[in-house]
Amino acid sequence: MRRTPTWPIHLVLLVVSAAMVTPLYWVLKTSITGDNIFAYPPALFPRHVHLYYYVDVWYYIPFVRFLVNSTLVSLIVVVGNVVFNAMAGYALTLAFRGKRAVVLLLLSCMMIPFQATIIPAYLITKELRLLNTHLGLALPLCSTIVCIFVFKAAFDAVPRSLIDAARIDGLGDLRILARIMLPLSTAAVATNVILAFIWSWNNFLWPLIVVRNQEMQTLPLALSTFLSYLENTTGALYAFCIMVLIPGVLVFALAQKQFVEGLTSGATKG
Amino acid sequence: MRGILLNRYTVVFGAMAVSVIAWNLYVATHSAGRIAGRVVGPDGRAVAGATVTLREKTLTTLEPRAAAQTDDAGGFVFAGQRAHHFVLEAAKDGVGKSERAAYRLAFRGQSLSISEPLRLQP
Repeated sequence: MRRTPTWPIHLVLLVVSAAMVTPLYWVLKTSITGDNIFAYPPALFPRHVHLYYYVDVWYYIPFVRFLVNSTLVSLIVVVGNVVFNAMAGYALTLAFRGKRAVVLLLLSCMMIPFQATIIPAYLITKELRLLNTHLGLALPLCSTIVCIFVFKAAFDAVPRSLIDAARIDGLGDLRILARIMLPLSTAAVATNVILAFIWSWNNFLWPLIVVRNQEMQTLPLALSTFLSYLENTTGALYAFCIMVLIPGVLVFALAQKQFVEGLTSGATKG
Repeated sequence: MRGILLNRYTVVFGAMAVSVIAWNLYVATHSAGRIAGRVVGPDGRAVAGATVTLREKTLTTLEPRAAAQTDDAGGFVFAGQRAHHFVLEAAKDGVGKSERAAYRLAFRGQSLSISEPLRLQP
């Protein structure tokens, strides 16, 4: 049998990959050269490379403060997502009256954009006196429906006999979740951690509404403020973008295998 | 134990921690903030008694930070400077003034010896 050549697919993948990497490359190149992005013809390769724009960002703004804020908020969001979503996902694997309605309700809620619920979210946060706090910044992202279903799919794949055996041994639901379900669903946990981290890290709209002073700003919010200071900061602005991007890229690169496993688990049978 | 040490999370975050500590140690031991240079006249000879002004470049403006007089050899020194991006300008009555020259440092307080002299122009 004649084998189909793979090079056309590889060629297409190469072109697509290059198209996807080019903007990131351009941001990185501008951050180490300060080249005018509107210059024509554009320089494909960096010349006169230096890291002074990174130094500018470090000293011109309280970068460490923003980094700490973003890290704290992301940590709260990650912990909240793993705990609450695991509980909700586990509950959806059990049989109870109205389960179908709950699943339908959750699925339908996924179709409501966050922008539509931002006023009630603000009012609730205000009533809880959490405006301009790290917890208030993290609260709306502490549980996400997509991640609940990631956990549900992973828990559904755990054999029922294991849970029944645990029940016979006297374990309650919380201990079954902590001792059996979560250790057997590391890919789902990794997916939750990565998604929660990236969503929280890149979140702009909610911090813009909740934050009242500069000390509480997160990195995306600080980036927009930095952009508004003055126009002659092309290199520094792009250096700031890279500094904001690095943690998310790092987390994804380190856990990408589990991330992909977590997203695809439950997608196939057998 | 070997597995934990060679784990990619341990390696990556460990390397980052070591780099940060090493960089901070380097900065702490090299932050005298000594900026030295020379001023020459239009003929290339050293100019004594010229005033050199150091302005720090902030996000929006140039803030005057210090001034120094050149010695007989045309040399000037600023000590304890904390600017990482600054502009130097030299001037002397009757001789002229130099163009503004911008300098960047890798960290605040880094010492710098400027090889290219500031040249006064009438």
